[in-house]
Amino acid sequence: MLINLITKFAFFLNGSKKYKRFKELASNFLQNQDYRYKKYFDIFMISLIVVSITILVYEVKHTVPVWMDFFDIYVVTVIFTVEYLARLWVFNDWHILVVKEYGESQFLNRKFSLWKPTKLALKGKVEYFFSPTAIIDLLAILPAYRPLRVLRIFVLFRVFKLLRYTKSINQFLSVLSSKKFELFTLLFLLLFITITAGIAIYVFEEQKNDNINSLFDALYWALITISTVGYGDISPVTIEGRVVSMAIIVTGIAMISFVTSVIVSAFSEKLTELKENRIVEEINKNEEFMIICGYGQMTRMFLKHYAKEYNRRYIVIDNNREKVEEAIKEGYSAIHEDASRHDVIAKFNTDYAKITLLALTGSDIANIYITLNAKALSTHIRVITRASTDKIAKKCKLAGADSVVMPSLIANRMLFSAITQPVMYKAIYAILTGQHLAQLDEVNILYHQKLVGKKLDELHFKEHKLLCIGLQVGHSGKFIFNPPMRLHLQEEDILLVMGRKVSIEHFKTIYEEIKYV
Amino acid sequence: MSREKAFMFGYSQKRLFLAQELGYNLMGFAIIVNNKEAYEKALLDGYSNVKLLDITDDVALEKLPIEDNDYLICVMDDHHLNVFLTLSLHALFPQAVVVALSDSPHTTQKLKMAGASKIIDLYQVSANRIHNILHKPVATKLVEQLLSSDEDFSFKEMTIPKGSSLDGIMVDDFDFTQHGVILVGMIDKRLSNQFIFITSGLENRFDIGDTLVCIGYNKDLKQFEEYMAT
Repeated sequence: MLINLITKFAFFLNGSKKYKRFKELASNFLQNQDYRYKKYFDIFMISLIVVSITILVYEVKHTVPVWMDFFDIYVVTVIFTVEYLARLWVFNDWHILVVKEYGESQFLNRKFSLWKPTKLALKGKVEYFFSPTAIIDLLAILPAYRPLRVLRIFVLFRVFKLLRYTKSINQFLSVLSSKKFELFTLLFLLLFITITAGIAIYVFEEQKNDNINSLFDALYWALITISTVGYGDISPVTIEGRVVSMAIIVTGIAMISFVTSVIVSAFSEKLTELKENRIVEEINKNEEFMIICGYGQMTRMFLKHYAKEYNRRYIVIDNNREKVEEAIKEGYSAIHEDASRHDVIAKFNTDYAKITLLALTGSDIANIYITLNAKALSTHIRVITRASTDKIAKKCKLAGADSVVMPSLIANRMLFSAITQPVMYKAIYAILTGQHLAQLDEVNILYHQKLVGKKLDELHFKEHKLLCIGLQVGHSGKFIFNPPMRLHLQEEDILLVMGRKVSIEHFKTIYEEIKYV
Repeated sequence: MSREKAFMFGYSQKRLFLAQELGYNLMGFAIIVNNKEAYEKALLDGYSNVKLLDITDDVALEKLPIEDNDYLICVMDDHHLNVFLTLSLHALFPQAVVVALSDSPHTTQKLKMAGASKIIDLYQVSANRIHNILHKPVATKLVEQLLSSDEDFSFKEMTIPKGSSLDGIMVDDFDFTQHGVILVGMIDKRLSNQFIFITSGLENRFDIGDTLVCIGYNKDLKQFEEYMAT
């Protein structure tokens, strides 16, 4: 009966969209680095930690006001406890395991056991419970327990808790962990020399040096000396002891230089990667951005004209290091990666952001592969691909490209117009290159509510020095060229007008632009 | 068919469309190449008027039957050679119209200095196209349709002939909507030889010899051209 009820409850949780959404939201706030609002949660937690540490440190020598104590015990600690429990909760899903086990039992005609999925879920929770970050979280709650003053030392864990919310410290640790082998080797060497030198000085001076009374004193001296700190509270008095000192001072200097060089080389190796990760993190904070693959002539030209308009909401990816350096030198955000690799595009916030990807490398094969890669990751990514021929353009479309740009085709058409219809060419060129004297622009009726229901005739295009070229009818997407002036505008329509930039802007201002984000 | 004559310098797969269209639409069309591979390809593609010559040799270029106002299209794949060729052609045939293809702003500048009358920057127009696709998808689609020869409607330029009923009429007084076409702009010979967009706010008058650029369905454009002649 109870098993039945629990199983039903697991099924209820599994089917509840509200529960799923709520858990996803909690998980996003707690552990999704790409979640747009996570930074606010992190800032809030960092502020709490700083305030609580300040209170605890102040309390050492002063009497804190009651409200401050109350804040630290009840507010900070309760929030920390809730956060700790929430992390434990989002770590794994018990109900999924139950549902899965139930399904398998039914399928295999075996007896359903609730204990098996529960054990698995508990195992996961225990695993989390003993993870270093969870231990820090738990210990960070302890200083609030006032009767045991010794627990105040756990205030240090609140400092450690900061690690969760500050990326730079984490990055520093990850850089160090890349040189784990070298650093551990040096640590063992240090221990070996310290112990050897400590034993040596103990043997030589225990009887003759008043400051060395135990092996601990000898080891303490050895460590202080090898680290080149040298407090001077213990110093050798015998010739043998001084020889040992000289030897470990020289070794100490060598070791410090070695450790420094290991850390510096780790950083220099990882610096570019860290910088590039930071660029990706920054771009992921935007709701809408553009990924430009390939830094060739077309990308250069595109950025030269439009980089300002996209206001850092773009990133260039190229698998040629020199080209990336060139792009950075020219002031563009660029990273050295291969955009045809799944994990590279997966780094971007494809779940939440509106992404446009431009596949503009010089190779048709690479462009098609990048297109497939992006579309395989998310069909919501809008892809514009460069193609060299008609046949390639068809393949790009098959690969899922939303639009295909063929530079040679555009240029050929322009050349053809320039020769056969030179006057028309000037008009087209001006329109295509968006020159101020004539632009072809769209007026989205959705953003210009005052236009809804208006008859085209009432808009007095001539007075506004505009030409009404066409109308895309909202629901059907049907395009009406040279629309009759008796037509009424609907909310989802798009009006196509031509005129000077200033005329179009003025027209849009009159009919009030309301942007819906 | 247009009465112009054109010489296209350079031939490759990328220029197939251009060669086809020019060959079909112009009175005279010749392809000049500087390597055997391109020469054979052009012959294989069905062009009879193909010449293989060293384009760096002025004597060879001079022998070409180029006349004043002929179009010289420089579309060599090697852009250094393209600039050199533009300079040579401009020096040898100053009255001809040199049209060149460029691949960067630097090349565009050099081509201008070399004397090209019209320069099309391959990547600039493509970059603009990408920007337009992103920001003006409907407009971009329309422009593509207007430029494509396969579509029902297009841009057309027409010259007002002698005895036209349009002669002497103010632009604002003429109703284009009844003809189903849109007047985009014109060259008002009375004022200058510059192309003026109709939205520029100037008051223009139609006179004989003025060139009009209109957009419309092909049949409407044709009918309007016929109407203009009456």
